[in-house]
Amino acid sequence: MQEYTITSGRNMAHIDPTLSIWGWEVPVYLYLGGLVAGVLFFSALYFIRGKADEMPTVVRVTPLLAPILLGLGLFTLFLDLEYKLHVFRFYTNIRLESPMSWGSWTLAAIFPLSLLWAAIHVGKVFPKWRWPFGWMDRMVAIAETYARPIAWSLIVYSVILGIYTGILLSAFNARPIWNTAILGPLFLASGLSTGLALNMLFSKEKNELHLLGKIDVMTIAVEVFLIIHMFMGFLASAEIHIQAAGLFLGGPFTASFWVFVVALGLLVPLLLELLELRGRIAATKIPALLVLAGGFFLRYIIVEAGQVSTWGL
Amino acid sequence: MNSDKSAYWNPYLAGFVLGLVLLATFVIMGRGLGASGAMMRTVTYAVDTISPEHVDNNIYFAKYAGGDKNPLSNWLVFEVVGVLLGGLLSGLLAGRLRLQTDKGPRISKRGRWGFAFLGGGLMGFGARLALGCTSGQALSGGATMALGSWAFMFTMFAAAYVVAWFFRKQWL
Amino acid sequence: MSAPFYKYDFFGFETGLLIAFIIGILFGFTLERAGFSSSRKLALQFYFRDMTVLKVMFSAIVTAMIGVLLLNLADILDISKIYLNPTFLGPQIGGGVVMGIGFVIGGYCPGTSLVASAIGKIDGFFYIAGALVGMVVFAEIYPLIADFTQSGGMGDATLGNWLGLKPGIVAFLIIIMALAMFAGSEVLEKRFGGQVAAGGNGALANASEPVEEPAPAE
Repeated sequence: MQEYTITSGRNMAHIDPTLSIWGWEVPVYLYLGGLVAGVLFFSALYFIRGKADEMPTVVRVTPLLAPILLGLGLFTLFLDLEYKLHVFRFYTNIRLESPMSWGSWTLAAIFPLSLLWAAIHVGKVFPKWRWPFGWMDRMVAIAETYARPIAWSLIVYSVILGIYTGILLSAFNARPIWNTAILGPLFLASGLSTGLALNMLFSKEKNELHLLGKIDVMTIAVEVFLIIHMFMGFLASAEIHIQAAGLFLGGPFTASFWVFVVALGLLVPLLLELLELRGRIAATKIPALLVLAGGFFLRYIIVEAGQVSTWGL
Repeated sequence: MNSDKSAYWNPYLAGFVLGLVLLATFVIMGRGLGASGAMMRTVTYAVDTISPEHVDNNIYFAKYAGGDKNPLSNWLVFEVVGVLLGGLLSGLLAGRLRLQTDKGPRISKRGRWGFAFLGGGLMGFGARLALGCTSGQALSGGATMALGSWAFMFTMFAAAYVVAWFFRKQWL
Repeated sequence: MSAPFYKYDFFGFETGLLIAFIIGILFGFTLERAGFSSSRKLALQFYFRDMTVLKVMFSAIVTAMIGVLLLNLADILDISKIYLNPTFLGPQIGGGVVMGIGFVIGGYCPGTSLVASAIGKIDGFFYIAGALVGMVVFAEIYPLIADFTQSGGMGDATLGNWLGLKPGIVAFLIIIMALAMFAGSEVLEKRFGGQVAAGGNGALANASEPVEEPAPAE
């Protein structure tokens, strides 16, 4: 393991002028975090609204995947840590001004909650499911009596998780492309959309799919709106932000961002979902797959571009 | 264009539209359309991921991905991504999207798959040899009246007509 | 003259990739609409039963060719800045023979195999897999055939300077030839069973179990 002694704020290896520390791990973590936030948010929402029987995929099936996906995400984040054994230090303090601290504590709350939530529903999805120990049965039974409060806290924590995946980046004020408050809502909207898409992959109920499609159309529209505003914000800002936006407007990320994120990840699934809802084309899993892929590309490209983006002119 | 959803366009109309797309490409980009070049770059990318040394040591692969070059940052690659999407949209709108195998009535599916693989192999090899495929050579080179492209186009069709009889079982 | 726009620096490389994507969509959509997503429809060309390939290709070549010449006459498009496929007669004729055989066996050309795969044609998947393998084989044996790939080099030769004719005259001859081939195609399709493939590969009938057809006219 190497340690860097930094004596100057400029020309630090791997950090200035361009960051080259984060590979695939961080975008995967941000992606899975957003996806799980979307899955848990809609599951809890429709549970509270008493739609568990009408929308079984949303309320009961995909939440079973949430702890697994979240666990995978945390594992990739762990891989990214240079000092893996120091992970406990996130939990020895609370710092309101640090998004990493927010994130660690949110994860510490939502991960056990997602496990409980999955435990409550697993028996309904798999009728033959039996817990190996008696105390587990009793615990799940207790949890079931508190299902509504758990659902409410899941809604709160999933929104925080979804926003945090974006705020984590915007807090890097030395990376102009990340340093915009829109990343929080944008990543939340994208997380909700990928969560819906995962449900669309698994759902077989026609009514459920129809409703999911409708909500997804709105979510994607919000995302497109936020992306437009992000660029308008950059272009109306200081020179440094105009340059940062240039990375996507003629610069090295132009084609990959507009083709893979905006066109294939947002506009094409939006078009296909609208056509499906109107019965013009057969319903397929293609829009869902495109949304899931596009959500990953969004985070991957933003993370990559942010590392190139710099204050140095 | 055509009110019957399942029907194809009239061939002359389709050709005219295709010609306009090609013309737009000439006017905007100063180059033609293509397909096999993007396939070559994709496979080079795969080889480059597995073994970068092998790519650097092979003079043909190195043309596409030697050193730090990313073979996928290329005009044809993005064009082909669009081709896949355009084909999908057209198929979806016409209700033609379905897993199926095209063949004549006298050959099994597996037989057809084997021939498709073999024929694809010959085409892949031939397209690299001929410096382009039906799109890049015959269509684009044909419209710019390049001598070699016309020589290519006529030999390809002539060869196909000569051997067609031997493979009639696959199609008729 | 201000076209081709890219060559006159109206936009950069990355924006060009974005335009490539949009042009690709139009290209793929048109290929699929022409019926080129069906290997059987393509291959029946070689049995004179469905001449769609020839009709589409030559209408496209003629349209683009006339467009280029007219825009050049109107001082809009600079022909000298359009990429001209270089001529190497050896590999182009050799590759033509290999691809002609491959076309009949595989049923697609590389571009059409992509649109076929995009709408779920399984033979299209196998074709693409084969083509990728064929390209690796080519790259691996390239050092052995490097001399042949450069043979018959004639640089930027066009039909015009080979025949000693002006481009306009050559274009006129190509148009006459295309019209003759179109007329011939119509006759051949009437004689050899016409549009058998068009219905068989549409959405209504399952292409893997096509309707019975008359025996080949031999």
